[in-house]
Amino acid sequence: MQTAHSVDHAHADVHHIHGHDEHHHEETFLTKYIFSQDHKMISKQFLITGIFWGIVGGLLSVLFRLQLGWPNETFPFLETFLGKWAEGGKISNEFYYALVTMHGTILVFFVLTGGLSGTFANLLIPYQIGARDMASPFMNMLSYWFFLAASTVMLFSFFIQTGPASGGWTAYPPLNGLRDTGINLGSGMGFDMWALGMTLFIISSLLGGLNYIATVLNMRTKGMSMFRLPLTIWALMFTAIIGVLSFPALLAGVTLLEFDRLLDTSFYLNNIVVNGQLLGYKGGSPILFQHLFWFLGHPEVYIIILPAMGIVSEVLSVHARKPIFGYKAMVFSILAILVLSFIVWAHHMFVTGLNPNLGAIFTLFTLLIAIPSAIKVFNWIGTLWRGNIRLVSAALFAIGFVSMFITGGLTGIILGNSSLDIHLHDTYFVVAHFHIVMGVSAFFGMFAGVYHWFPRLFGRFMNETLGQIHFYVTLVGAYCIFFPMHFMTGLPRRYYTFANFDTFNNFNHLAAFISVFAIVVFLAQLVFVVNFFYSIFKGRKVEGEVANPWGANTLEWTAPVERLHGNWPADIPTVYRWPYDYSTEFGETNPQNLPLRSGEEQH
Amino acid sequence: MVAFLSFVVIVLLFVVLVLIARANELSLQLKGDKYDYTNQSRINGYLMMGFLILMFAGSAFAFKELVPVMIPKAASVHGLQTDKLFNITMLIIGIVFVITQVALFYFTYRYNESRGEKAYFYTHNNKLEVVWTIIPSIVLTGLIAMGMYEWFSIFNKEARDPKMLVVEATAKQFNWMLRYPGKDGKFGERVIDTEHISPTNELGINWDDKNSHDDFMADKLYLVKGRPVLMKLGALDVLHSFFLPHFRVKMDCVPGIPTEFYFTPTMTTAEMQQYLSTEPWWQTVNPETGEQRWKTFKYELACAELCGKSHYGMEREVVVVTQAEYDEWVDKQTAMYAAVAPKTDAPAESVEPAATDSVNTETKPTAMLIKK
Repeated sequence: MQTAHSVDHAHADVHHIHGHDEHHHEETFLTKYIFSQDHKMISKQFLITGIFWGIVGGLLSVLFRLQLGWPNETFPFLETFLGKWAEGGKISNEFYYALVTMHGTILVFFVLTGGLSGTFANLLIPYQIGARDMASPFMNMLSYWFFLAASTVMLFSFFIQTGPASGGWTAYPPLNGLRDTGINLGSGMGFDMWALGMTLFIISSLLGGLNYIATVLNMRTKGMSMFRLPLTIWALMFTAIIGVLSFPALLAGVTLLEFDRLLDTSFYLNNIVVNGQLLGYKGGSPILFQHLFWFLGHPEVYIIILPAMGIVSEVLSVHARKPIFGYKAMVFSILAILVLSFIVWAHHMFVTGLNPNLGAIFTLFTLLIAIPSAIKVFNWIGTLWRGNIRLVSAALFAIGFVSMFITGGLTGIILGNSSLDIHLHDTYFVVAHFHIVMGVSAFFGMFAGVYHWFPRLFGRFMNETLGQIHFYVTLVGAYCIFFPMHFMTGLPRRYYTFANFDTFNNFNHLAAFISVFAIVVFLAQLVFVVNFFYSIFKGRKVEGEVANPWGANTLEWTAPVERLHGNWPADIPTVYRWPYDYSTEFGETNPQNLPLRSGEEQH
Repeated sequence: MVAFLSFVVIVLLFVVLVLIARANELSLQLKGDKYDYTNQSRINGYLMMGFLILMFAGSAFAFKELVPVMIPKAASVHGLQTDKLFNITMLIIGIVFVITQVALFYFTYRYNESRGEKAYFYTHNNKLEVVWTIIPSIVLTGLIAMGMYEWFSIFNKEARDPKMLVVEATAKQFNWMLRYPGKDGKFGERVIDTEHISPTNELGINWDDKNSHDDFMADKLYLVKGRPVLMKLGALDVLHSFFLPHFRVKMDCVPGIPTEFYFTPTMTTAEMQQYLSTEPWWQTVNPETGEQRWKTFKYELACAELCGKSHYGMEREVVVVTQAEYDEWVDKQTAMYAAVAPKTDAPAESVEPAATDSVNTETKPTAMLIKK
């Protein structure tokens, strides 16, 4: 099947392939695999680091789900591994909060931002715009190394005596603005490491983001006008723009927080009374930090979801053998999301005592985001309509993404309405909402991308059988975990146990049910990990020198299977058409570097 | 040992999985040199359709099983309104959920490649885009309007009843301090400085302010049915959040910044028990207490903002009573001043304004000394 519609045109405009002496230079193990400046290698580095963090972050959730699912049981093996954090086989409340804090931090930043954007921006931007590499390969390398440094600091914080940060991934002061003085107040050194790790992470993100924007704007090949860019590139570029504009706010916020902690300033602290003693902080505002945090924090969820949206648009179109429906509507809806994402942050703060007028404005903008999101969903469904869909793992995950995004997105309409948020704020309804809409969805988008571009990354396929097992277990399991949480409306999140409350103590069977599926879904992810590493070495090989296994139109498949520094051995391809000419009257696959035939229309 | 064995079982399972997958791949490859996905597409088409049915069946089951267990209907005036808006929104998004999920999975099944139909080259339709932009916009405008109407009526300061009850709740790790203004209806002044704040006077109450003399602290939050209450909220150390799930009330408690929430309870605790006694789930016996669930029902106050390692333990009972019962309860409370007033003034329960005139500052604990 794959050869039938691919090879004919793949060579179309790459003037004949002759060796690769032009770009040949000596590479040592160190320059090729470690300090690589090649976008493809950096992409792999991000991906594998992201997978590592994904396993860690998932494992943390399994640990705290053990506590939530069976609050009265003990698990002696936990003490073996965790020592004083799980004395008698029961996770301590202190460590429970460390687990949820680090679970959030790791998955939001290190997996779904670093892992997702880092992997696919690096892989796809140069390939799909027809460039030999990033605008600054050196900055690109630094971006990964700052990411790794940030990862190292975060990882090490698990091994210090007082444990990792435990005041929530949102790091709200005063809890995180005060040092732990041994009286249950404030947080310990783990938080300082968190702040350092985040600072390094932000540097990495800015280096990467500026590079992505510069590359897309300046290094497109001949003929690649902006409206001929694949939606992946639009999404990745807008993601980078959001990151560049919003991450500095978090850097400022965290820096001031560290000033409060280390230098006893009062940016966020005012009139703190501990054990009947008035501390010397005067005039700060804890709410200020929330504004700074969410000025990044909300755009951050779009930083996570936009690349997934771009990947899904591309994957759906390729496997449906049909143009993406409403290309321009898709571009403008991402643009609308980009703009709106900056003016909705205070919907995380409806019940902080915010001026009600402000609450009203933020409700308005928040619910407006539903419109571009709805347009995107309708267009994805429109793309499937009357397609000829090849249901391989990549396509299944892309369809799963749309399903998850619908389910999670719809409850956003409830939470965004400030008067409803009063009751729902910081309850399991919120946990259900954001896990489905940005957690599971983004993972589905990421998996769709990995299964789809694995042949591009490694010259081999991932195993389809394992991929489909992975898909169905994850789809069913993720719904079983998060759908029932909608009924736990009014149960506060971040509770170690509900035993102290009659009101909240009625869902213990459900909590165990959720925990069982959390473990199942975690194991299913290990199937993916096994498949991933197994396929790197033993997967089915892609046939031919240049192969286009899915019959895609985009430029990455016009480069040789062997991954050369500089991507194309001869000239870079020239572009004559948009990337979605699938199943036209002239043929099923019409690569972008294929000149228009007589009688063919531009789209 | 069990842990070790289950670990071995899981590892073996993985090995088996990989072997099956590998064998499957090899057998497919042996069939021909071209890798054909048609068969898989057919099977996955059915599976995706199966998933759609499973999802709807599961959702229906979840509604049937879990809705009765949920926190019961709102016991406050605004809560009844926001619950209504919640249900309206749920209905709308429920309809959209069904339509879009059915379309998504049905198209996946119907148009999978095993049908062998050529895909239809169809790039866009501006009319359709306009339609599916305008319809959500209109619906959302309605939801925003209804939401804002509720929002502004909840926070409308001008519409407050002057006869409202005022209660102060101050949070600290890991407890609530509930202060009532006593019979005069006025709180004693609080002063935030090191002279006033001490381990015995964490709130920094100014005992020279006579309004403070009948203020009392309660271990349960007593509210009056039908009488609006203004909760004056604050925190001493870190962020907390004052959460009354049954009343749909939540407002953060912020150190250094006062916040408040105004609402009106509509059912006494006894009335809510009565109401629940007719609900099948609430008639079941709670194995922990051995009683029918509705009999032990109580309103509760919780903390809803992560405030440290015992965040989950900040429980206080909330009792809603009639005005007469409330007055009776107030009479039984002991004023805080009793503990700090000069011994001669005891019994402090009935601290009269006259009694405070005789307060000699020298007999007070030193921490209470006031210098203006």
